[in-house]
Amino acid sequence: MRRLEELRAEFDKRNVKLITVSTDLPHEIADERHLHGLQATMLSDRDLKVTDAFGLRNTAFHSGPPAGGAEALPVPATLLLDSAGKVLWIDLSKDYQRRSDPSVVLNAMQTYFD
Amino acid sequence: MLLGTKLGIGALTLATLTTALWFYLTRQVALPDDRSGFVLAWMCSALLGILALIKATSLTGRVPPALAIIVSSFLTFTIYISPQKVDVMSVIKVGDIIPKFQALDDRKAIFESKSLNGHLVLIKFFRAHW
Repeated sequence: MRRLEELRAEFDKRNVKLITVSTDLPHEIADERHLHGLQATMLSDRDLKVTDAFGLRNTAFHSGPPAGGAEALPVPATLLLDSAGKVLWIDLSKDYQRRSDPSVVLNAMQTYFD
Repeated sequence: MLLGTKLGIGALTLATLTTALWFYLTRQVALPDDRSGFVLAWMCSALLGILALIKATSLTGRVPPALAIIVSSFLTFTIYISPQKVDVMSVIKVGDIIPKFQALDDRKAIFESKSLNGHLVLIKFFRAHW
């Protein structure tokens, strides 16, 4: 999240809307925004409705908080959409400890948005 | 200083240095695919910790190796459970139109996906705020 904000100028140049989805509750998102400073519309999906609509529920071992949290977590994923809502690119993490470097996202934007 | 105490401090030092590097790379989104070096270091730390517990004779001397064993074991466990899996039949694919959805944002305002129409969009599904 924090590193994604490094691409702020690239997002602004292309007028890209940023949306994030997590299972955190709205107040949890608000409380933790300062940790990364990402300028995005940050959505709460505690019941996993959005995650399931995209088919991104992790069906492997659930490593989230054991109590009081969501029943599962989304697989970390980044999607680029065109202006009609069509998926142009997906980066799906096969391992939650491994994420794509922001340069991968930048390359994808240059390929699909420019 | 007792041998067990020395081993315990060594175990905790190794665990601490390895863990510090781990979190540094995590924050940089730069953890490598092959994390066997971390596992090896944590396992060495845990083994040193066990040896220290066998050798240690004072209660205080047992604290560093115990910490080393706990930290090293837990972080090794997180590597074991980190692979992710989706239902390949239902996961969204390149070329698909995204489903309509609504959700609350961090101000508890309702967000409608139709507001994205006409815009280039990046959507990120994530687990943790860092």
